[in-house]
Amino acid sequence: MSIGHALLGLLESGPKHGYDLKRAYDRRFGHNRSLHYGQVYSTLSRLLKNGLVTEAGVEAGDGPDRKRYAITDAGVTDVEGWLNTPEKPDVYLQNVLHAKVVLALLSGRSATDVLDSQRAAHLATMRELTRRKTGGDLADQLICDHALFHLEADLRWLELTAARIDQLAKEVAG
Amino acid sequence: MILKAENLRKSFGSTPALDGAGISVKAGEVVAVMGPSGSGKSTLLHCLAGILKPDSGTVHYQDIELSGLPDGERSELRRTHFGFVFQFGQLVPELTCLENVALPLRLGGMSRRKAEAKAIDWLERLEVTSVKDQRPSETSGGQGQRVAVARALVSSPKVIFADEPTGALDSLNGERVMHLLTSAARDTGAAVVLVTHEARVAAYSDREVVVRDGRSRDMEFAT
Amino acid sequence: MIRWADDLLLGVRLAVGGGRNSWIRLVLTGLGIGLGVAVLLVAASFPTALNARDHRADQLRVMDDGPAIAGVDPLYRVQAIVDFRDKNIWGSYLDAAGPNAPVPPGADRIPGDGEILVSPALGRLLASPEGELLRPRFPERIVGEIGRAGLEGPYELRFYAGNAQVEHTAENRVYRFGLTRAQVYNPLLYAISVVFVVILLFPVLVFVGISTRLSGAQRDRRLAALRLIGASAQRVRLIAAGEALLGAFVGLAVGFALFFFGRQYTEDVRLADAALFREDLTPAPALVVLLVIFVPVLAVVTAVVAMRRTVIEPLGVVREARPVRRSLWWRLVPIIGGIALLVSQVGTVSGPRRPNEYVLASGVSLLMLGIPLVLPWLVERSVGRLHRGSVAWQLAVRRLQLDSGSAARVVGGVAVVLAGAIALQTILASAERSIASEDHADAGKNHLVVSSSADADVSGLAAAKGVREVLRARQVSAQTESENWIAIVIADCPALRGLLRIDSCHEGSVFRTRDADIEAEGSITFVEYQDDRSKRVGATWRLPAAERVSSEDVLSGELYVTPSVLRNVPTPKGQSYYVAALDPAVPDAVEHARNAVGPLRWRAFSYFAGQRASTEAAQVFASMRKALLAGALLVLVLVGASLLVMAVEQIRERRRPLAVLVASGVPRRVLVWSVLWQNAFPLLLAMIVAVATGAGLGALLLRVLAQPVALDWLGVITLTGVTAAAVFVVTLLTLPSLRTATAAPGLRTE
Repeated sequence: MSIGHALLGLLESGPKHGYDLKRAYDRRFGHNRSLHYGQVYSTLSRLLKNGLVTEAGVEAGDGPDRKRYAITDAGVTDVEGWLNTPEKPDVYLQNVLHAKVVLALLSGRSATDVLDSQRAAHLATMRELTRRKTGGDLADQLICDHALFHLEADLRWLELTAARIDQLAKEVAG
Repeated sequence: MILKAENLRKSFGSTPALDGAGISVKAGEVVAVMGPSGSGKSTLLHCLAGILKPDSGTVHYQDIELSGLPDGERSELRRTHFGFVFQFGQLVPELTCLENVALPLRLGGMSRRKAEAKAIDWLERLEVTSVKDQRPSETSGGQGQRVAVARALVSSPKVIFADEPTGALDSLNGERVMHLLTSAARDTGAAVVLVTHEARVAAYSDREVVVRDGRSRDMEFAT
Repeated sequence: MIRWADDLLLGVRLAVGGGRNSWIRLVLTGLGIGLGVAVLLVAASFPTALNARDHRADQLRVMDDGPAIAGVDPLYRVQAIVDFRDKNIWGSYLDAAGPNAPVPPGADRIPGDGEILVSPALGRLLASPEGELLRPRFPERIVGEIGRAGLEGPYELRFYAGNAQVEHTAENRVYRFGLTRAQVYNPLLYAISVVFVVILLFPVLVFVGISTRLSGAQRDRRLAALRLIGASAQRVRLIAAGEALLGAFVGLAVGFALFFFGRQYTEDVRLADAALFREDLTPAPALVVLLVIFVPVLAVVTAVVAMRRTVIEPLGVVREARPVRRSLWWRLVPIIGGIALLVSQVGTVSGPRRPNEYVLASGVSLLMLGIPLVLPWLVERSVGRLHRGSVAWQLAVRRLQLDSGSAARVVGGVAVVLAGAIALQTILASAERSIASEDHADAGKNHLVVSSSADADVSGLAAAKGVREVLRARQVSAQTESENWIAIVIADCPALRGLLRIDSCHEGSVFRTRDADIEAEGSITFVEYQDDRSKRVGATWRLPAAERVSSEDVLSGELYVTPSVLRNVPTPKGQSYYVAALDPAVPDAVEHARNAVGPLRWRAFSYFAGQRASTEAAQVFASMRKALLAGALLVLVLVGASLLVMAVEQIRERRRPLAVLVASGVPRRVLVWSVLWQNAFPLLLAMIVAVATGAGLGALLLRVLAQPVALDWLGVITLTGVTAAAVFVVTLLTLPSLRTATAAPGLRTE
């Protein structure tokens, strides 16, 4: 899960203070682990250094909290690339995928595309495992089956999310 | 492309089952059709196989437009060019397994002896020779499905339509049926259209098409 | 006890609780059982109807020369039969000796001189154009109708005419109407009715049985669901019985409704002018009680027996995969028993005894029972041997091998009807043939013979339209030495030439018919009966040599002589005959001739020897055959309907495999053929069994009735053909359901 991509995604809807970004992140993706301010500002400065965000103006007063950040064109491209690249099929992907879906919805991109490309990637891996399994010995088969069952569970989750995408969109907008 | 469907629409009463779905299948490839239940994947398969006539849209098998064919010719085509495997209940309960497998050949006019000799080969290949003289009700689910696969393959079809072929089987038997089905299809160069909601079954395919709300999506878009 | 009733009630609730389908099933079951019940109610009415008829017939009888009753004036009465074309009109001429004379049954009063009471049917006939030639014979003034009490049936032609010329003799005197007489049975008709009733009731029972089992598969699924939630096998059986009971009660209600509705039309059902009064068609109360108990019991028993081989498990219905092979020996017992019972009655018809109706009925029933028993065995064995053949054939044969029982049960019903119809057809055809041969003897003749007292004036006869000549003859009776009765006809040469159709005749000629039972050169004794019925023995006469003649004449005498031969022998008065030779070219010549002697009323008796359209008896048999055919067809329709229900049910049960077959490209034609074979093959066996049994039963019954055994192959072929056509129609009717079943939705997993 990349906090940088998540913050970039949140900035797509408009320039924000660091404080706003932390609150938005916590609300959408934080669940029971909120982000430290330190994490937010260190990430923002890394993004600033890479030219993916820019300072959109400083208000009067002191402290980092006075700065507003905005996403650059390079930042938008980066988010898009991230969203459209399926994660390496692995276990415990849900957090990343959930973030991707929410950000896609927030930015008006196709969340279904995000899910489907992930799905295709999962299935490609499953095919590969199936091929390996049918050629392999029993140990191979057992190992492959373990992976296959996990991937299948992910895929089911993807399917279920795809089926609930409209409901999710409403919640995100609300 | 051996099979190509475009813009299929089909309603049952006022309920739309297909709403602009399409698919294309290359010779010899295994295509999985996935999707939630009620999404229209079985209807898509029935339209592709010429069992159902779509309300609009076209289905081409090679150069033949299926919905333009009269019922008799579609039957003939299904018998000679297509093979079918369903979830269950596809074997004629009164006939022995051997007779079930020989059935498509006999309908094609082959003599009983020749048809049953060929059927025996296929039963061997699917490792179910032991049940040849039993009736379907006397076999296990896995054996029955393998007999059904043998029957689907016996007439050397160009396309095999499999609708949830492992739906009534446990994992191990399901895997076994899928393995035998896809490898036999690959050996004979038959394309397989595989409707399933199980990813592990779909993993035996070369390619995946997802059907949602009567619309289809070719998952190759992402690769 | 309470739980017991609760379970039955639950069954009833389930039977109606399934929405539209279960209502349709209930209606079908109700109609099926109802039709059967209605037929049974009609059958149950026959004892009442026949008793009422016999009772009325008894009321019409009088004791000859009965004792005088104080305070009652005698009624003088002569009976007469007026022949009109092929109809007989029965009636009497009456003359009351006083105001207290007995009034005959059905009349509100005794008609006065020149008045007449006619039955409604006779009234209609007289008023119709058809009756134009009859009217001159009833010049009396019609003053009323004969009521039901004076008639055996609604279409009877009868009259009571008042006539002052009725002789006031002792033998015409009546003090009282009504005389109970022992029943006289016509053994042939009686045997036919016994067989008819047995044959009619059998398929009705089969049909009631089948109706209660409609939609068995659905019911089994429902019961399986009950097992799943914990009902015991015992309770499931009770629940099933509850369902069957409901169908039976609905059926009873429908049956009674149908019966009382149909009863209005009783009098329209005519069998050669024989019909029942509506009031007579009342079921015997004892039989109604029996029926009301029997139908539900039958329904419950069939429902429970049907489940005998079916084990309803919580997760579905398990049928024994391979039923036990059927054994033959006990199935043959009823057939052998039936044949034995019937054979035991052979030869009883001649002599004083008559066939025992109970033995006869049991024999027929047992033989018929043998059919549905032997058929399942036969179907199983024959199907077991079949292997080769087309795909459609293979599908059908395998299906039958797996479950030959239900097919055999249905065709069993067909076979019973067919066998019964063939047996009856055989009997009726044989009876009809023997009547036709009697009829044939009269062919070629065209004479109206009028016998009357010598003083009657028959001069009008010669002048009647279509009468070519009137021959006069006298007939006297005599006994030979060996006490054989012979009739001697005395007539002049012109008359003998006309009667015997011979060329040479001279005064003094003596002719004898070829087979006349007369000892050559023997002597005969003239005999005459007096009015008081005592026999008076006359002179003895030595027979002269006689010329043999071949033709039999209308007077059927043994010896024909010219008057001069007996001039010196005292002969009794004998009977005078006028023989009117009719012109066959004149239509209704006989009616004109009868009208010419009509004014003589009872004093002239005439009979017609000649070709008629058909004799009354032959007509009765012909219409009985028609009724039989209609009845057989009706029952076949009933059986056809059950065949259809079974076939449709079977298709519905096998929806999925059928749909898959069509999906994988099996032409529907193949499936249609397999359905046809599946119905036709057991039916073919059933027909073979039915024809064999029917013909055998017919032949046996004819032997019992001492009739020549001859099979009516045309009838057999017709009935068999109709049955085959019924199966074909049933198969055609199943095609829509086959089409529905094989449509793509059949592929759906439920």
